[in-house]
Amino acid sequence: MLSNAVEALYIFDQHNESILEHVYRSRPASARAILPLYLAHPTPRPSLIYLPNVNPPTVLFSVLHNNLLFLSPVSTETEPLFVLEFLHRVIDVLEEFIGDPLLATKIEGSYDVVAQLLSEMCDAGSVCNTEPNALRDDVDVSGFLGKLLGGVGLPGSSPALLPSGGLKQQLSLNPTSNGPAIPWRRANVRHTSNELYVDIVESLLVTLAPSGRPLAAFANGSIAFTSKISGVPDLLLTLSASGGKLGMEKAIELPVFHPCVRLARWKERPGELSFVPPDGRFMLAGYEVNLMPSNLDLKTWSNTNLQLPVSIEVSKSLGLTGADFEVRLILSSIFPGASTLAPASRPNLGTRGSGRSTPIFGSSASGPSLSDVVVTIPIPQAVRNITDLRASRGEAYFTPADNVVEWRVPTKDAASAGNATLRCTIVGPLTDDDDDRSDGFAFDVANGEYDDKEETYQSSALDAPKKSAANEQNQSRDQRKVQQNAPLMPSSASVSFNIKGWLASGIKVDGLVLDTRKSRGLGEGVKPYKGVKYLTVSRKGVETRC
Amino acid sequence: MFPPGLILTSARELTLEAAQSAGSARTVNSRPSNRDSPFAQTKKLLDSRNDREVLEGLRKVISMMYRSKPCLPFFSAVVKNVASPNIEIKKLVYIYLLHYAESEPDLALLSINTIQKSLSDQNPQVRAMAVRVMSGIKVPVISQIVSLGIKKGCADMSPIVRKAAALAIPKCYRLDPNTLPQLLDYILTLLGDRQYYVVGPAVTAFLEVCPDRIDLVHKYYRGLVRKLVDMDEWGQLATLRLLTIYARKCFPVRTKKMSQNKSKGFYEDEDKEQEDDNSGEEVQVLDPDLELFLKACKPLLSSRNSAVIVSTARCFLHLGTSEYIDAAIGPLVALLRSPQDIQHVAMNNIVAVCLVRPESFVGYAGHFLVWATDPPDISRLKFEILTLIFPHCEPHMKEMILSELEHFTRAADTALVQESVRAIGRCAQNESSASTRCLRLLLAQLSSQDGNLVAESLTVIRHLIQQNPQAHVYTVIRLAKNLDTTTNAEARASIIWLVGEFSSLPEEENIAPDVLRILAKGFADESEAAKLQIVLLAAKVYLHYLIRITPAQAEEASDAPSTQEVEGAPLHVSSPIEENGWQETHQQPSSDQRGPEPEQDSTHPIPLLWNYILHLTRYDTSYDLRDRTRLYRALLSNPQSTQLASLLLLAPKPIPHTPSPSENRKGLLIGSSSLVIGVEAAGADGVMGYEGLPEWVKEGKEPDAKLRDEALTKDAYGDRKDVPAARELDKAVEKKGLGKIGAGASKDKTLDDWLAEEQESEEGSTEETESESEEESSEEEESESEGDEEVDRLVKQ
Repeated sequence: MLSNAVEALYIFDQHNESILEHVYRSRPASARAILPLYLAHPTPRPSLIYLPNVNPPTVLFSVLHNNLLFLSPVSTETEPLFVLEFLHRVIDVLEEFIGDPLLATKIEGSYDVVAQLLSEMCDAGSVCNTEPNALRDDVDVSGFLGKLLGGVGLPGSSPALLPSGGLKQQLSLNPTSNGPAIPWRRANVRHTSNELYVDIVESLLVTLAPSGRPLAAFANGSIAFTSKISGVPDLLLTLSASGGKLGMEKAIELPVFHPCVRLARWKERPGELSFVPPDGRFMLAGYEVNLMPSNLDLKTWSNTNLQLPVSIEVSKSLGLTGADFEVRLILSSIFPGASTLAPASRPNLGTRGSGRSTPIFGSSASGPSLSDVVVTIPIPQAVRNITDLRASRGEAYFTPADNVVEWRVPTKDAASAGNATLRCTIVGPLTDDDDDRSDGFAFDVANGEYDDKEETYQSSALDAPKKSAANEQNQSRDQRKVQQNAPLMPSSASVSFNIKGWLASGIKVDGLVLDTRKSRGLGEGVKPYKGVKYLTVSRKGVETRC
Repeated sequence: MFPPGLILTSARELTLEAAQSAGSARTVNSRPSNRDSPFAQTKKLLDSRNDREVLEGLRKVISMMYRSKPCLPFFSAVVKNVASPNIEIKKLVYIYLLHYAESEPDLALLSINTIQKSLSDQNPQVRAMAVRVMSGIKVPVISQIVSLGIKKGCADMSPIVRKAAALAIPKCYRLDPNTLPQLLDYILTLLGDRQYYVVGPAVTAFLEVCPDRIDLVHKYYRGLVRKLVDMDEWGQLATLRLLTIYARKCFPVRTKKMSQNKSKGFYEDEDKEQEDDNSGEEVQVLDPDLELFLKACKPLLSSRNSAVIVSTARCFLHLGTSEYIDAAIGPLVALLRSPQDIQHVAMNNIVAVCLVRPESFVGYAGHFLVWATDPPDISRLKFEILTLIFPHCEPHMKEMILSELEHFTRAADTALVQESVRAIGRCAQNESSASTRCLRLLLAQLSSQDGNLVAESLTVIRHLIQQNPQAHVYTVIRLAKNLDTTTNAEARASIIWLVGEFSSLPEEENIAPDVLRILAKGFADESEAAKLQIVLLAAKVYLHYLIRITPAQAEEASDAPSTQEVEGAPLHVSSPIEENGWQETHQQPSSDQRGPEPEQDSTHPIPLLWNYILHLTRYDTSYDLRDRTRLYRALLSNPQSTQLASLLLLAPKPIPHTPSPSENRKGLLIGSSSLVIGVEAAGADGVMGYEGLPEWVKEGKEPDAKLRDEALTKDAYGDRKDVPAARELDKAVEKKGLGKIGAGASKDKTLDDWLAEEQESEEGSTEETESESEEESSEEEESESEGDEEVDRLVKQ
């Protein structure tokens, strides 16, 4: 059967210089021996590489994070996800303790903290303690970095890291004597300002058929929770979707939860998350929402039902020789469901909540806002160049190295709704044919320019009618060219963007209640400050095929 | 413990220190300017009497250690600080010690005494560290001392020390396997521990030290199952592994025939599931204890840890019934939300499950559409899933899958194109109703300018045609037409070969001679692969011609050769068209017989063509081609004896069946590295240390089920049924209230107790009422049996 053990952890910086080697068990292949073999593997490198020729034969696990490379060699059969999850936890914990984003210099600057963390998290290969809160009890960040961070108030470092020295030492003696009551929550948490933040982030994965019909549409959500409350609070977070309670059950699919969430409660009443939070920021839950109706309705399903504020259409093989393609970006200012969301949606952190039982997250200052719109169009490798990137708005570049056209569309101006178009002309590979007809080519370009001027204005214009009679004899040749150029056309385009204050799924936070009866050590009359943030992102997630 | 003075001064001191060490860290890292004396400097720091300086020195040493710089020379200077009362210093010294003890065993031994003293420190954290370090020092001489230390740790009041002890057990075992008998005792003590986070490491230790001693687990089985949910992820992983093996070894597969008569089924149950001969569906019956385990696993499916989800899926797949497997599928699919590195591994596992239960994945088809951002490995696996679920889908879903695959035939990545075409082929092969649609799709690809795509499509088309040759006579004609335009060498070769396979058709439908005629014209310009196939085609055509004109011989050879011939016909035997073909060949000769002109060689175009090809190839540059031609010529030199030739040339081709690419990994355990690496790379036995699950124990050989409840019945509960649990609890509380003075109250509570307790206690300070409320809550919250066991434990205490 499988034996689960981490044998070693190596970290390399962006120049592939080893910055950390921590061996847990036995004698794994050294960092120096392994790195070249890892690099020899063609990119993209899988997270698991088998190296039979190393001594001992090694399974190499790797995770890339912020240009830092985390490698872990294992010489016996091990559950791969065990090692990978461990690597991810190491990253999370390091980020929490020595600062986010994690940088090589930060690791180098605090080897002692890192050493304590690593030996605390994994004892001779057995992973034993990966809860940041529990680690905070065990590891003295106060060494120097904790206070350094505390003094400077570095963003991202959890504020709970840094009680003053004396208190810290008391804590380190006190809480562990009986063992932690709740493994994920630090003992004796004290905060002067009591705050609770809920950040719900949904990332879109939408595939549209050439017709515009959605093939699959998912929103992958994650709920990040930040709790800065003294004592042991007991919280109840209520989510709701448009369809009420039943809708909730249907909307949120395949959830995963932080261990603190009471599963029974969720099962009984979907949408209610009852938990005692860890101190600081943590991922409370992850879920997904199928934005398409159930599969049964698929046949009658048309794209009008899936209203995304951003979508794209591609038309290709345009122009005389079929060497043009056009991407249309459709930005709508209508955010489906935003009207109901408006009171709760907050572009920034919430204002002060007024009550306990029915927290009001303040009235929204502004509606959902769209930003960072980038259209990415992969171009077939055979394409030599792209001339004439004409964007009606924003700027577009072709990067031959990656074979990608990137088009950035600013969204600052006004509501920025409306359409934008990008028209490109591709230059195919050099062939003998091309050389023969070099003058014809020049001629076409001259013509094309003329046509294009019009087309940039009327975005839907396709083959502009031929005017010159002289072109008649060229017609057949053009047909052939169109055919030649057809495989050089892009086969998909995707768009990335951020929308603050809007969730594609329509899920919203109905309430966040601090149960004072069940909680302990809150202090008198504490009314925590509550904030909710919604964000929908797409990282090349909305993809149109063509 | 800290000297009180330290705490007082610390605030100011620490601020200073922060500034200093930040500065010093920078010098260590970026500027090796004061190179002349770094060693001496560091050593001086280490020898200092000031804690702050010592700490700084230690930090420097640790930095060097992590950068693989030699810091062995500091060994004695570092290790003598082991006696420092400062816990921070202690921690760093311990880290150093663990790293280098092996290289300096003698010096390391000097520190053992001090560490041993720490085992009795007041601070449980210090005790835990001491246990960990002592067991981590790889000096075999001290194995007995380590063992004693663990023993002490196991009996410690603080669970964190017990946890450290549990983690130390495998280390001690590795140090000296002779300590096994003692270690076994410790493990069993810890397996029965009340604290779920002590039990987790104890299970890990068990798996490392004595995975085969399943017989020791019986007593703890139910406890482990109950604690499973509350353990941390890593403990859950270990426990899942242990209990999976345990279940295989202790619960035989029992099946029950579901008879039509329900009441009868009920009685069968009563009769200890005696199998009777009633016809009916076989249904697996789960042992109640096994079911207990499987049910306890279900909540784990919403774990945030992907490894736990895959492990749970493994349990369900190998132990559970189909309902359990289905429950695990959604969570598995949800792993596609994780980062890419985890996705890759998860996909491999999903495919493995999908091979077993494709139908359950149908609802998730949308998740397996390939995103533009997917790396090739993941796309490949997604295609595989799509093809696996294809036969089980609704028609519109099938259409979607096919268009998805078709889309990727236009992808830029050649590997992806190849995969998608193959996937289309597999779809057609697994679902005959879709095969025409697939074929049309593939035929459309033939006009593509991408040679690679054309070649791949043709290979797949060829396989499809071979599977059902009768239906595809016209497809072949259509393919032959493509010879005019197709330029890709392999594609041409494929088509020619296919035409050759169909050369036995009756004359009216037979295009083979015609194709041969046309090809012969352009023979010189063909690629070698195509030339080889042309020669083969010529040989086949000529052979069929010979068979036709020598009926006498065919008849003479009577049944034997003719049946041979039938078998030898290109396509398989039993098919009706083959029969026809055979009859035709007989008719044909008979018509020839009427006008008997057996020596038509000189005028009939086929022999002419044959000879022409022979001439052409004789002067070809390729050895291989010339050799083969010589072979065919020799075979066919005697027009009277075609028997050998037909055996050779017209042998039936096995029907190609392309298995799903991961089919060969089916036997590998999901969640293992070997599964991801694959049989090709890792070998059939998997990576070193790979071991499959044990087989189910045979019925009748399993250990007695009573072993599992022994702990319950023997110790405390003769009177279990008579006395209400509540009263038991009350008694226990009284006893316990006396029993635990020194130990912290909260250490024995399970998570549920602890949380429930808060509900109970209205006031902020609960220290006094804690024990009481705990018991009350356990009474309320837990099921009766659990409550009972709680009492059991308390009583023992």
